Amino acid sequence: MAEVVLKDIRKEFGTFVALERLNVAINAGEFVALLGPSGCGKSTTLRMLAGLDFPTAGEISIDGRVVNDVAPGKRDIAMVFQSYALYPHMTVAQNIAYPLKKRGVARPERDAAVAKTATLLQLEPLLNRKPRQLSGGQQQRVALGRALVREPKVFLLDEPLSNLDAKLRSYMRAELIELHRRIGKTMVYVTHDQLEAMTMADRIAVMHDGRLQQFDEPEIIYNQPANRFVAGFIGTPSMNQLEGAIAGSSFVINGEQVPINRALYEQALKDGPVVLGIRPENVSLSGGSLPATVRLVENAGHEQIVTVEIPGGHRLLAREASGQRPSVGQTCQIGFDADFIHLFQPGENGSRFETTGQAHVIPMQAQRSASDES
Amino acid sequence: MRILRKLGFNLFTWILVLLVAFPLVWMILTSLKPQTELFRIPPTWLPETVTFEHYWRLLTETPFLIYFRNSVVLATTTTVFVVVLGAIGAYSLVRFAYRGRETLATLVLFTYLLPSVVLIIPLYLMMVELGLSNTLASLVLAHTTFALPYALWLLRSFMEGVPEDLESAALVDGASRMGAFRDVILPQLLPGIISTALFTFILSWNEYLYALVLVNSDAVRPLTTGVMTMLISAFNIEWSLLMAASVMMSLPLIVVFAFLQSYLTRGFGAGAVKG
Repeated sequence: MAEVVLKDIRKEFGTFVALERLNVAINAGEFVALLGPSGCGKSTTLRMLAGLDFPTAGEISIDGRVVNDVAPGKRDIAMVFQSYALYPHMTVAQNIAYPLKKRGVARPERDAAVAKTATLLQLEPLLNRKPRQLSGGQQQRVALGRALVREPKVFLLDEPLSNLDAKLRSYMRAELIELHRRIGKTMVYVTHDQLEAMTMADRIAVMHDGRLQQFDEPEIIYNQPANRFVAGFIGTPSMNQLEGAIAGSSFVINGEQVPINRALYEQALKDGPVVLGIRPENVSLSGGSLPATVRLVENAGHEQIVTVEIPGGHRLLAREASGQRPSVGQTCQIGFDADFIHLFQPGENGSRFETTGQAHVIPMQAQRSASDES
Repeated sequence: MRILRKLGFNLFTWILVLLVAFPLVWMILTSLKPQTELFRIPPTWLPETVTFEHYWRLLTETPFLIYFRNSVVLATTTTVFVVVLGAIGAYSLVRFAYRGRETLATLVLFTYLLPSVVLIIPLYLMMVELGLSNTLASLVLAHTTFALPYALWLLRSFMEGVPEDLESAALVDGASRMGAFRDVILPQLLPGIISTALFTFILSWNEYLYALVLVNSDAVRPLTTGVMTMLISAFNIEWSLLMAASVMMSLPLIVVFAFLQSYLTRGFGAGAVKG
């Protein structure tokens, strides 16, 4: 078990700044997801942790040792690649044994370790096959096996599930959570899939444009997003964001007033332009004060996503339990649950106004009970 | 109609095959005919008496074996040189980023555009300066200069097909850069290396012009120029010996090609990464 610390990391590719002032401290045994859209710098961060890329400035340490100048093979890390990167000319057994061979482990111990790993991942019947004779899920397990066999201090995983089909992906997700619980090693997991991050990670580092946006537990990321980017990136469908202004205890948009619970927000909130964020599940289609027209109804079986248009042409999404179906073209008075309204600074990536109370924090019902135990 | 078309295509293909194969077949047949049968008109298609006397004379009475040895040493050394330098060079061109990398690659190819006649005199003078004139080493260097640019480009495109993740994985697994190159990249590169080796070997084996200019003593002459100077004089061409020599010159190429061809077509890279 080892903690991983990234301190003031900066990375430039030519004139392009890929990462700036990145500070992340990962506790020993923690499962951390680096989450963000492609090009946000998450894979670069992982490659720097692995020693395959080098920071322009800053310090990387693993288990208290600064590793900036340490070769990848000497960092005591293991990495699973998005492409799996299995050695095609070697059998499964040779693939798994390779890291041990490179470390001079003797043949008998090597064979024993391979056998143990194969049992753990149910790979025994495949040991003598070549990677091209395996299915995607099997290749994935071999890649995991090659990382596990050496019992490194830190595991790095670069979108390991993105090449699997949906069913296998959710299966492997559960497997990985289980695996982490069992071995208790520090894991850093890169993904662009917020569902993966939310369900698997102890903490999520949300990244955007080479900067860390927020680094916290999934519940907090979901319920108290640091800024407009995080609010929009986490959750499907994503949070509605409306540009308007605060006047007294109302949010005003196009002359229409939406009541807010002003007592929740700290002194920093002044009258003036703000962005209101509200998740689709906190929008109700009736009993509110904002006139709207239904434009689209998407029925997903257990729920339906309703697109409504408010004066000024803004569109909002509302999540409704299935039951009565609103019809397209129907007008309604929508309302927002005042306790769940987020207010952000105006601007492209305005930060969120802190709230005093915890009133609007709801416990997330994600499959996290397993990883919480460790 | 369809049968006719099929027949037409078949006929066309066989005519092409015959056109290409005829000189080779004639070469073999001629080498087996006794001297008396050689110039008979009308010619005999199949030799009436099969004889190996020309082969025997070639091996015992002429310096053919010396030339043969020279050619083997020359082509093999050149191939090893070109493959080793080409693989390392291609690795550098693909994996490392440095100023002028693309320009360098283009310049290398540009040298290939110059006709060898232009290069041959400067090259000869350089060999004299280096004290290498009239040695096999001078021919090895000369052949390397014209085979390497093409080899570099060929290997470069093969190298580009090797996923970088494979090398990264090997590095993380504890291999050094050279270790990763040997354990992971070279096996992936094998089809490319074999194509390059084949190409270089054939080029060097058949090369005539440089051999003619750079080397002029029997001890170091390769087969191409050796056989020519030995059997073709202003007054006489020893046809039967020439044909026997030609057959024996072709044999190594046929053997090498037949042996390596199966490697060329085998799909080595399949299954490396999810496509």
